[in-house]
Amino acid sequence: MNEEQNLTHLSGSYVMKRLLSYLKYFKRKVAITFIVLLIATGADVLGPIVMKVFIDNYLTPRVFPVQPLVFLAVSFVGLYAISALFNYYQVLSFQKIALNIIQIMRVEVFAKVQHLGLRFFDQTPGGSLVSRITNDTETIKDLYVTVLSTIVNSTIMMIGIFAGMFFLDVRLALICFILMPFLIVLMWVYRTLSSKIYRVTRVKLSQLNAKLNESLQGMAMIQAMRQEKRLRNEFGQINHDHKTAMLKSVRLNSLMLRSAVYSVYLIGLMMILSFFGIQSFDNVVKIGVLYAFINYLDRFFDPINQIMQQLTIFQQAMVSAERVFGLLDDERMAPVQQGDSSPAVKEGRVEFRDVTFSYDGKTDVLKHISFTANPGETVALVGHTGSGKSSIINLLMRFYPIERGGVFIDGEPLTGFSDDELRNRIGLVLQDSFMFVGDVADNIRLSHNQITEEQVKEAAEFVQADKFIEKLPNQYHEPVGERGATFSSGQRQLLSFARTMAQNPKILVLDEATASVDTETEEAIQLALSKMRRGRTTIAIAHRLSTIQDADQILVLHRGEIVERGTHQELLQKGGLYFNMYQLQHGKGLENVSAAK
Amino acid sequence: MRIFIDLWWFFKQERLKYFFGIVFLMLSSFISLLPPYVVGVIVDDIRTRSLSSFILGKWILFLVIIGVVYYCTGYLWRQLIFGSSIILANQLRNDLYKHFTKLSPNFFQKRRIGDLMAHATNDISAVQNAAGEGILTLVDSMTMGAMVIVTMSAFISWKLTLITLLPMPIMVLLTMHYGSLLHKRFGKAQAAFSDLNDKVQENVSGVRVIKAFGEEDAQINVFRKASKDVVDKNIAVAKVDSLFDPTITFIVAFCYFLALIFGSKYVVEGTMTIGSLTSFTLYLGQLVWPMLAFGFLFNIVERGSASYDRIRRLLAVKPEITDLEGASTQVPSGAIEYNISNFHYPESGSNVLSNIDVTIEQGQTLGIVGKTGAGKTTLLRLILREFDIKDGQIRIGGTAIRDVTMEALRSAIGYVPQDHILFSATIAENIAFAKPEATQEEVERVAKLASIHEDILHFKEGYKTVVGERGVTLSGGQKQRISIARALLADPEILIFDDSLSAVDARTEVSILQALKQERQNKTTLISAHRLSAVEHADLIIVLDEGKIIERGTHEELIQKHGWYAEMYAHQQLESLVSEGGGKA
Repeated sequence: MNEEQNLTHLSGSYVMKRLLSYLKYFKRKVAITFIVLLIATGADVLGPIVMKVFIDNYLTPRVFPVQPLVFLAVSFVGLYAISALFNYYQVLSFQKIALNIIQIMRVEVFAKVQHLGLRFFDQTPGGSLVSRITNDTETIKDLYVTVLSTIVNSTIMMIGIFAGMFFLDVRLALICFILMPFLIVLMWVYRTLSSKIYRVTRVKLSQLNAKLNESLQGMAMIQAMRQEKRLRNEFGQINHDHKTAMLKSVRLNSLMLRSAVYSVYLIGLMMILSFFGIQSFDNVVKIGVLYAFINYLDRFFDPINQIMQQLTIFQQAMVSAERVFGLLDDERMAPVQQGDSSPAVKEGRVEFRDVTFSYDGKTDVLKHISFTANPGETVALVGHTGSGKSSIINLLMRFYPIERGGVFIDGEPLTGFSDDELRNRIGLVLQDSFMFVGDVADNIRLSHNQITEEQVKEAAEFVQADKFIEKLPNQYHEPVGERGATFSSGQRQLLSFARTMAQNPKILVLDEATASVDTETEEAIQLALSKMRRGRTTIAIAHRLSTIQDADQILVLHRGEIVERGTHQELLQKGGLYFNMYQLQHGKGLENVSAAK
Repeated sequence: MRIFIDLWWFFKQERLKYFFGIVFLMLSSFISLLPPYVVGVIVDDIRTRSLSSFILGKWILFLVIIGVVYYCTGYLWRQLIFGSSIILANQLRNDLYKHFTKLSPNFFQKRRIGDLMAHATNDISAVQNAAGEGILTLVDSMTMGAMVIVTMSAFISWKLTLITLLPMPIMVLLTMHYGSLLHKRFGKAQAAFSDLNDKVQENVSGVRVIKAFGEEDAQINVFRKASKDVVDKNIAVAKVDSLFDPTITFIVAFCYFLALIFGSKYVVEGTMTIGSLTSFTLYLGQLVWPMLAFGFLFNIVERGSASYDRIRRLLAVKPEITDLEGASTQVPSGAIEYNISNFHYPESGSNVLSNIDVTIEQGQTLGIVGKTGAGKTTLLRLILREFDIKDGQIRIGGTAIRDVTMEALRSAIGYVPQDHILFSATIAENIAFAKPEATQEEVERVAKLASIHEDILHFKEGYKTVVGERGVTLSGGQKQRISIARALLADPEILIFDDSLSAVDARTEVSILQALKQERQNKTTLISAHRLSAVEHADLIIVLDEGKIIERGTHEELIQKHGWYAEMYAHQQLESLVSEGGGKA
């Protein structure tokens, strides 16, 4: 539902035009293939004419000169050989073009998504985004294959057949032309009716799958709450609706597809027979022409059947194309460098000056935030969920545009830095340590190929991830599966530290994990963190006491505002928060408490 | 062909539809043989100039009748045969769903949801195809093919028929070969596509890391490669797919060629009329479909069989937990006693729990704490009888939980699991999940108890707001509180919280616990938690470590002991003070 609301509605002809504009990348190929198609169709159409010549010139008068007959036979077989070969080439070539167009379109969509801002990702459910990049483009592929292969092909074939008919007998060809309105009306009616039914069946099918998927995921809950019978009925109902919709579509197809087309064929046959029959009352009729006409008529209906079967795909593809183009036109881009001064991060001084920020333009999540982190200092952000800690990090990472106030690094506005400089100099360590499919070394190095195997190991050693990595069967080349599920959360955390250290950033942005991991890894993490902070400006969302205690500056956030700030000592003297802490620790060393965790 | 025997029960069930369907299908095939005959007769009459308007009119009328009858029979057999195959799919889907509802939670943890979904979609549609297209191709290739060949050889010329049909088996073999080749390549293309999907999935979920490390361009390159792979695999499919039409055209053309060469010879010899030859070539055209159908038949049957086997295997999985014979239907009530010497999961050998002996009186609260993996969740899942215990027993009011029916046991228990499952429905429907007939007042009352009422009112559509995959995204804390409300509405004697307050803040936790205390007098509650504040008020707290109870007592007793609990408690107090900003504001 949400998905549909986000759509800007594009007109059908605009979508079609834009879809066809992709052909421009393959102008030459399309032209060549089209010529091949014309030749193949020509060969197809000539076949019956050769037959006609044979029947009328030789069979009926019973004269059989060897040479012309051999020539006819050879040309008959030759024509079909040409038709077979050229048709193979053209069908395959059109499919290739279609697939390559989809490749271009997919990369285009994917690249676009890469450069969209986090604001876009916040507002778009991941599942629907994935489906636009893959499934929707897949549906569009079907459209290209259909349009290029079937529709172009069938249309050319029909034109060719008419050309052959006109060549043989203009009057009869004109009479056969009367069939066209029948067919067009039939197609139009079918298209209108089927699109409705098709839409319903798709909706029902997706409901059916959604229900099943959800039930499978929540089965334990369904059973614990004893709702099996009710859910079975609900599923049964959706299943029933789906069946009804499917039966409707079978009925429509039974009424309007092959059987109906066959009826039109019979009408055509009756016209041809009557035409020749009536002619034969007064004149001699060329049997060969009659034969060729009937042969043409036979072939004429194959393309029609094919086009009609593809009509539903066509409609679905237009909907998909609209979605994909909507995504391509999305304007929620990621913030990029402004101006071309390209300053460098030298010392790593971070400064927020009177920053006010809102995600949705309505509620401010940060209000007048100002602070400075001097080179090498650690600033700890504390406060409960929703107090604005993450937003400060999001702004410093330039994930969102800063509209009010300013963020400066070494006195230069954040907006002036190039993407590369920012990404290389600011290292982010996230709470949820994301792993990519690949191996351990890949996950540390990422795409920075200039990082050597040695440097990867150094980074791992630095955060003491080397101990567990070296115990793995393949060490640094141990495969990492989907989301790193084979590693414990503590191990993943250490790997993500190593990843950040491999970049050797000047500024460290830390989103400490809240969840406690096992004692051993916990100690390794603490140690790694304090080592990483050394000599680097650190902005940390802090949950661990050690991080907070060591901070040069602690900012206590509440509802987007800094309500208390100072060093550990200063805050202790102020009373309040740190005074309370001190009281609690009295007589019970902090080391003890940490170790117990 | 085994699939047709396997599906016999269904054909029997729908015997009238299939019987008449096949009759009409054969009738259709037969009728379609008539127009070529008419053409032959008219051609001969034209040639001999014996055609009169009366004869012509008669034949045209005949064609009109053929058209009408063919249209009707065509409509009927499609309705009957394809309609039945849809009913089969519908039935199988219901059967599978019903079977799923009987299987134990353990089953769903072992099997990937995606695979189970595939059985219910792809496999069912392959079986449906066998019961629809499969029957069509079987009947058409057998009867129509036979009819055409018989007509051609009996009424026109058996010699010519034999000669002309020589190339046909080649076509059948080739198309069959293409079919199986296509199937294999298509499988590969599908796999490549699913890899692409995984790639995009990973990219979208890792968007922050990608942006933070400036990985965008590298990701585009990886994607380009994966997408290129999809293209290549699809081109491999297209290479085979594009072979069908030209092969058929060429071989059929060759048949025509033979028909004309030898047919002409017979015409010249006078053993055949030119009209018959015309009919013959038209019949030839009608043989193409049955021949193709013969090739398709094998592929359809092969796929249908494999799919039906998978479905049957799935339906044959027995639920691990079932009611014992003579189990009581009386809803158990009273004190809960755990006596477990040891317990391990069916797949692994190591003990998850050992020597658990705890009794909790009716109306009391048991708190369960300990590190991740200490066995807290297992302890709670055992009382729901998600697994059976071999060495030990859990009793409620003196009755072993094994001796009552699942239905009765589950009626006694309300469960708030660790991962919160909400269904795609309105918030009100989700809360009323266990009691769909609940009134709005009841729903709101429990929502208030779970401290979620205010949140719900903030949504645009209040209680009518749709949640789940297609609806509004809720925060973890909101989901937790809705699950709590859901469990409260059922008002069970025993309520289980499996770390169900982890995502709510301390203040909300206090108010929920307070509400629980008032609401659930004389009712038993089991709470497991990471945050000790959630169990502070419990009548008995046990600390688990590696499946054993290492400490037990009330909060005060445990603090006195200066053990794990006491240390953890002090630590958490400090941390909460810090992160709450010292209780400021």
